[in-house]
Amino acid sequence: MFSFLTLDFVKHFPVVAVMGLFLCAFLVEIFGSKNKIIRNTITLIAAFGAFALITALIKPVLIDGNILAYWMGNWEPVEGYAIGIGYEIDALNMFFALLVVTTILLAAIYSIKYMARDHHLGHYYTLFLMLSGSVLGLVLTGDIFNMFVMIEIMTFASVALTAFRNNKNGALEAGFKYLIVGSIGSSMTLAGIALLYAQCHTLNMAQISAALANGLTPTTVLAFALMFAGFGVKSYLVPFHAPAADAYMTAPTSISMVFSGMVNKAGVYGMIRLVYIIFRAMDLPALQLMLATFGTVTMFVGVTMALAQHDFKRLLAFHSISQIGYVITAIGLATVLGLEAGLFHAMNHTLFKGLLFLTAGAVLYATGTTDLDKLGGLAKKMPKTAICFLIGAFSISGLPPFNGFASKWMIYQATYQKAAETGNFAYAFVTIVALVVSVMTLASFIKVTQAVFFGQLPKHLEDTKEVPLSMRVPMWIMSALCILSGVFYGFVEKFLLAPAAKAVLSVTNYIDKMMGEGTAAAAGVVDYAANDVVLTLWNPVLWLVLFAIVLIAVCIVILTGDKTRGRVLAKTETDSEDGKYATFFGGEQSTHSHVAGSDLFWGFKHDFKGYFKFIQGMHSGVVNDYALYAVVGAALITVLMFVFVH
Amino acid sequence: MIIVNYVVAVLLLVLGLYAVCTQKNLIKVVLGLGIIDYGINLLIVSVGFNDGGTAPIYTMSDLLNGVASSFFVDPVPQALTLTSIVIGACVDAMALALVIMIYRKYKTINSDEVRRIRG
Repeated sequence: MFSFLTLDFVKHFPVVAVMGLFLCAFLVEIFGSKNKIIRNTITLIAAFGAFALITALIKPVLIDGNILAYWMGNWEPVEGYAIGIGYEIDALNMFFALLVVTTILLAAIYSIKYMARDHHLGHYYTLFLMLSGSVLGLVLTGDIFNMFVMIEIMTFASVALTAFRNNKNGALEAGFKYLIVGSIGSSMTLAGIALLYAQCHTLNMAQISAALANGLTPTTVLAFALMFAGFGVKSYLVPFHAPAADAYMTAPTSISMVFSGMVNKAGVYGMIRLVYIIFRAMDLPALQLMLATFGTVTMFVGVTMALAQHDFKRLLAFHSISQIGYVITAIGLATVLGLEAGLFHAMNHTLFKGLLFLTAGAVLYATGTTDLDKLGGLAKKMPKTAICFLIGAFSISGLPPFNGFASKWMIYQATYQKAAETGNFAYAFVTIVALVVSVMTLASFIKVTQAVFFGQLPKHLEDTKEVPLSMRVPMWIMSALCILSGVFYGFVEKFLLAPAAKAVLSVTNYIDKMMGEGTAAAAGVVDYAANDVVLTLWNPVLWLVLFAIVLIAVCIVILTGDKTRGRVLAKTETDSEDGKYATFFGGEQSTHSHVAGSDLFWGFKHDFKGYFKFIQGMHSGVVNDYALYAVVGAALITVLMFVFVH
Repeated sequence: MIIVNYVVAVLLLVLGLYAVCTQKNLIKVVLGLGIIDYGINLLIVSVGFNDGGTAPIYTMSDLLNGVASSFFVDPVPQALTLTSIVIGACVDAMALALVIMIYRKYKTINSDEVRRIRG
């Protein structure tokens, strides 16, 4: 039936998909800036086209296991030197490309109604399609400078879209901060690329990987550190994350979904490609620990910042940062299970966080605000949105049988298994932090559910209406995917994760397909050792450990309650901060106590008020501080690389 | 001497980062960003430089007759630098446009006062 889809034919698809998106970006500006119908038609054709072209590659790449090598203008390598720009599509590229095209398609459908009230929509769709094209190009290209150009286009389009609703409070400053820190990140990447070129005299990733097989020189270690920091900025690791949260918050919600669905996935993809393939350094225990540490810090800082938020979208933004921490941690383990868990969580994050941002957008569309203190009781007015939100919230909190549970469980197992294998206590600690962060995520979403969809309906929201159908369809699709990928995790593992993880570990295959058979062997590159995956979702012993940890957490919270429990407080005491805390935790009686639905975990925060004051003070909103964190982070990475990577 | 190029490139890079991290005037922050770009452009061009090499421009007959010198500067970094200059100019232009918009809305370009989103 699809006999015309031969390998020689389909290998043109990726580049056509990328160029189609860029071409349509300009067509929208030329023909669609006045006419709504032409504009929407071109956007949807571009999005559907990219989706169809990439899904057509599922069979040859993911199922048959081919690697597509495509040389622009047919400039094939001469005497072992890549002279043209190459696109190389293996299962890893394919995995991320699928996430990207799904996000593009759903965001395009959602945008049509969601953005309809704004002006200058021609510019919006131009930027949207440029962003889509650049991210798709980034995950498909096999040329490192091409990747840099795509990163720059991505940063550009992201900044412009962040500041698109420039009358909105803070949109401009968020765009500016994102541009400054993003540019520092891309400049580091470029400096790294220049140093790599000086050493390897090529820009092709496969050839660089072969050239670096003889060991790293100080120059290449510096290049590695700079590029690591560069992709860290793009995947919003702590300490590079602060401007990203602002951007997620102020961008139009369809774009927030695109940011969390594919822009930070592009950073994660770059990180995997960098550490596993280009430098082939993931069998160094120090580097594994470094990635796991960055991931763990990111997930913890992200979730604690999320607990302190009063804005729906900013809260989701910090959860997004936190979930990327899980992905980076799992990827840093360098085991098959860890890789599969990380990729699975990346995929699930695209689905459930996209869904949550879409519901936040629906709330914003229907009520005009995302301030948790002003919302409440919307489940009565918007029941369909509320159901979608609950599915997303259950998924991100890791409740079975939703997809977040499956991937988080794999991450716990992978970190635990790593601790058992290496005997390193640090990885067991990572497991515990991952569990605690998951509990805090659940707590945070209980708060949001209470503040937005349940509780009392404020008077001014009496005439709220459910959002239009074209905004609900993407939410339904996302919800369905969240449930399906959670229930049929074995299917996902077999057809998506296993090929992608295998592609990451077989470096020689990647080099040989691009540069000709035998290149890898001649350069002395060897594959990573692949260990078996043990997928046991229901292990009672580990469950018991989980419950013990939760129990300990509960005990700690109870014991930190106020010493003076049980007495009746005077009115002056009740109004003070500590008195409010005492009624909340110690059980003292008081005539009135104010803890709003949007502040359900006020008491918990009061316990750690020193930490919260510190971490909120760090997110000062001053652009110089954010730039300084980025520079300090990069310097730290450089020092660690020189100490541990040889 | 080529080593001077590398030293100056790193100096420019550090100077630019210093400006971005310490200057409170948003225009100066953008200028710092520009200086980082110049430092990196200098680095890339220096990577491809060969002392005494010719320009890599030949006709087909030159190559076939062996007239051309085989010792030339690497053209690839020059192409990369051109791309990088264009991108850098666009970044600066966009950042300056944002600064103008910020000034209209906030009536200040002091970074300590442009922080409505925080915490």
